[in-house]
Amino acid sequence: MINRMNPSVKFVMITVSMIAMAFFFNPWTPLVFFMGVVLIQLLFATVSWKTWSLMMLPFLLGAVGYFWTTLVFGNEDSTLGTALSLSFRVLAFSSLSLLFVFTTKPVEFILSLMQQLKLSPKIAYSILVGYQFLPVLKDEFFQIRQAQQLRGVEVPKSPVKRVTAMRHLLIPMLAGAVRKAERTAFAMEARGFTGEGDRDFYRKITIGRADAAGSLLILVLLCGSMAAGWLL
Amino acid sequence: MLKSWKLKEIVLMSLFAVVFGIIYLLFLHVGNIWASLIGPIAYEWLFGIWFIVSIIVMSIIRKPGAAVIPETMAAAIEVMLGNAVGPRLILAGVIQGLGAEAAFAATRYRHFNLGVYMMAGAGAAVFSFVYGYLLGGFAALSTEYVLLMFVIRVMSGAVIAGIGGKYLVDALLATGSLRGYAITKRDAHA
Amino acid sequence: MRLQSVMHMRNVISLQDVSFRFPDDEMPVFEHVNFDVRAGERVVITGPSGCGKSSLLYLLNRLYPENCDGIVSGTVELFEQPASMYVPGEINRRIATVFQDPDSQFCMQTVEEELAFTLENMKVPAAEINARIQKVLKETGLESFRESVIQTLSGGQKQRVATACAWVLEPEILLLDEPLTHLDPVTAQDFVKWLKHLHEKGNLTVIAIDHQVDMWGDFFDREWQMVSGKHLEPALIREPLRSGEVAIDAKELAVEPIVSPAAFTLKKGEIAVLAGPNGSGKSTLIKALCGLKSTGGSVSPERIGYVPQSPEFLFITKSVREELSFGGGSGIDEVLKRLYLDEVSESNPFAVSHGQKRRTAIGAMLCDGRPVITMDEPTAGQDAAALRELENLIIARANEGVTFLIATHDMTFADRIADSLLLLCAGELSGPYLPQTVWKNHELLERHHLLAPSGGESCDQPHESFG
Repeated sequence: MINRMNPSVKFVMITVSMIAMAFFFNPWTPLVFFMGVVLIQLLFATVSWKTWSLMMLPFLLGAVGYFWTTLVFGNEDSTLGTALSLSFRVLAFSSLSLLFVFTTKPVEFILSLMQQLKLSPKIAYSILVGYQFLPVLKDEFFQIRQAQQLRGVEVPKSPVKRVTAMRHLLIPMLAGAVRKAERTAFAMEARGFTGEGDRDFYRKITIGRADAAGSLLILVLLCGSMAAGWLL
Repeated sequence: MLKSWKLKEIVLMSLFAVVFGIIYLLFLHVGNIWASLIGPIAYEWLFGIWFIVSIIVMSIIRKPGAAVIPETMAAAIEVMLGNAVGPRLILAGVIQGLGAEAAFAATRYRHFNLGVYMMAGAGAAVFSFVYGYLLGGFAALSTEYVLLMFVIRVMSGAVIAGIGGKYLVDALLATGSLRGYAITKRDAHA
Repeated sequence: MRLQSVMHMRNVISLQDVSFRFPDDEMPVFEHVNFDVRAGERVVITGPSGCGKSSLLYLLNRLYPENCDGIVSGTVELFEQPASMYVPGEINRRIATVFQDPDSQFCMQTVEEELAFTLENMKVPAAEINARIQKVLKETGLESFRESVIQTLSGGQKQRVATACAWVLEPEILLLDEPLTHLDPVTAQDFVKWLKHLHEKGNLTVIAIDHQVDMWGDFFDREWQMVSGKHLEPALIREPLRSGEVAIDAKELAVEPIVSPAAFTLKKGEIAVLAGPNGSGKSTLIKALCGLKSTGGSVSPERIGYVPQSPEFLFITKSVREELSFGGGSGIDEVLKRLYLDEVSESNPFAVSHGQKRRTAIGAMLCDGRPVITMDEPTAGQDAAALRELENLIIARANEGVTFLIATHDMTFADRIADSLLLLCAGELSGPYLPQTVWKNHELLERHHLLAPSGGESCDQPHESFG
C-alpha cells in the first residue's frame, strides 16, 4: 500500500512527521515512532530488508555518535533520557526516509511534484534531464580520473587535500556540463517545449484510496507515539 | 520569477546539481563514519561543500533564484539517486539555498565578488544551522558545544563555499566555456 | 522528374541578405547570406567547421536569436512569413530538428517517455498519445525499443530515436545537424538508408549540415556551399620505418572477461590502427596497455601515453606550457615549437581549439617521457581540414620515431596512415595485418564490422538490427 501511495502525499506526510518529531525530547516518542515505521514497512510495503539493513547501518553508527556526544556535551538539563531521545530520533528519521526511498520511483516523484504540487515544468523536466544524465556523468567522472592518474595526479589521503584536489576533476566535468546543458536545452526547445503549465500528461500520477489509508496510518502512528511520550 | 530564465540556464543548474550531487554523496559517506566516532560535529567543517552549487550557479547566471533553485534541485537529485537521508534533504536544500540567496538579495543582485560569496556561504550556514538546531535537537547540547559547531559551520560555509566557489568559477571562466551567460557579459564586472 | 516538380513549389525557407552576430562579438558569424529552399527539396549545407552552419540552422528553427540574444539583420522567412511572427514553440511542430550529439538530446529515460514528452509539448490530448507513439515506432521500425532506456542504446540507435522524436511531430521540414558525426561508417550508412526509406513515406523537405557528403550517396538534390572549404594543408610524406627496434612489447595481456589474452609487438616509429566494432573491447585494451586497468600478462615499456577522445580530460593546469611541464620533463620549448603550440603556450588548455587541445595532449605525453602513444577514436566529428591536420600530426611524430596505436572505425583514415592493423572482435585480438590485405579480405572486414576505405567495396550486411 505504501508503494502505491502518491509520492507527493507521501512526501508531505513524512515531512510533517519529521517536523513534529523535532519538538520531543523524551526517549519514548521517537522509539515508538521508529518501531511503528518498521512495523508499517513490514506489513504494508514491499522492501528489500537486506538493503534496508545495509543502509540503516551508517545511521545506527550516527545514532551512537549522537548518544555519547549528548552525554558528554549535553547542557545542564540533559539526562540519559535526552541522549537516548536524540539517538532514537536519528533512527526514526532514517527509517522514515528509507521508507520513502524504498517505496518511491524517482521519476514518478518528480512527475508527481509537477502534477500535484504544481512544480514548474521547466524545473521538473530539467531535473529529469539531470537524472538521466547521471550514468553519462558518472562514466565521465571515472574516465577523467583515469586520464589524470596517468599524468600522475594521485588521490591524496588527507581529507582537506582531497577537497582541494577535487578541482582537477570538477573543472573538466563542469565545462562538459555547460556544453551538454545547452545542447539538451536546445533539443528540448526544438521539440516544442516552452515550459507552459497547461500540459495534458500522458502518464498521470493520481491520488487514491491508498493515499487516504496511508496518511491515516502515519497520523495514527504520530499521535500514538506522542501519547506514549506523555504517558510513559 | 521563472519567466526571465532561459531553458539552457535551468538545465545547466540541473547538470551542475548532478555533478555536485555525486560529490555530495561521496562526502556524505565519509561524514557518516566520522559521525559515529566523534558525533554530529564531524560534518561541520565539511558543510560548505553542500552550499557551493548555489554560489557557483548564482555567479554564472546572476538572476534572482539562482542560489535557492539549484541548491533545491541538487537535493532533489540526491533523493532520486537513492540517498538514504531522503525527503528531508529537499527541505534542507530549500533552507540553505535561501540563506545564500539572502546575501545576494541584500546586494540587490548587483555585486558579485569574493566578499559577497563568502557572505552567501555564511548565510547558507546560518540558515542550515537553525534548521539543524530544530531537527537535530541541538537544544539538548551545552551552549559552548553548539557555539563551537556554529562557528565551524559558518567558517566552512564562508571558506569552502565562498572562497572555493569563487576559485572554481574563476577556473571555469578561464576555460572559455561560459560564453553567453551573464558572467561573461561586458558590464558584468562593473 | 522529381526536380521538375520541385521547381514549381513555393519557398518554404527564404533568407535574404541575412547577417548574424553574437552580442559580445565585433565580428559577425556570417554576413549577407541568401538561401532559399523549396518544399520537398533535399539540400545539404557544407562548409568548414566554424563558418556558422549551425548558427544558420538555429535561425531556421528559432533557437536563435532568442537563446543567445544574437543580432540578426536581413529577412528570414519561414513558410512565407517573417520568422519573428512565430511565438516560441509554434514553428517547432512544422520544422523538426535532429542534432549531432547522440548523448545530449534527450530529456527522459525511456524511448516511450521521450516520445510522450514531445507529443505533450505539442498539446496532443493524452488519450491520443499512445496511438501516435505506436504509429511512429512502427513507421521507424523501432517497435522493440519502446521500453528501452535511451542512455543504454548505441550511438546509431540514439540517432534513430532522435529522428523518431522529430518524425512524431509530423513536420514539413526536417533539419539535420551533422547527424552522422558520432556514428561509425557502417552505422552511418545504415542511418542514411533508413532515412531515405522514411523520406519516401511523405513529401518532406530535408535540410542537412554535413561535411562528409560522400557518406550520403545520392540522398541530396543539391549541395549549398555556405563558405568554400579551406585549402587542405599538403599531406606529409611518410618515411619508411628505419630501425627494427621494438617500441612496445605486450605479452599475454588480458582483461577478464572483456579481452582474452593477447600478444603483439610494435616497432619504433610504427603507426598501428586498432579496429573493431563498438563494444569489442578496444578502449579496455588501450587502458590495459596504459596500466589504467589491472591486467594479466606484461607490457614493456611501463609508461605508455594515452590521448582520450576528449583530450581535455587530461588537463590539470591553467596553461598549455604548464600542461607540458606538469610531469617534470625537459625540452618543453622544443616540443611546443614542433607541435606549433608556441603561439598558444600561455593560453588556458581548455580554451584553445580542438586540434590544439590534441596537440597539447600529445605534447604532454612526449614531455612525460611516453614515446608510445595510444589514441582513442581521434577522428570523430572532424572535417576534412581537421582530419588532414591530424594525419600530418601523427605522421610527423612517427617520422621522428614516436610509436602510435590508434583505435578508430574510420578505415579511410587508417588506409592513409597505418603501417599495420590490429583487429579486435569480441575480445579476440588478431594481427598485425598489412592494411592492403585487410581491404581485400571480405570475411575479415565483415567479422569486424568495417567498411573498406571509400572507393573500395563495402559489405551490405547492416551491423545493428532494428527489430
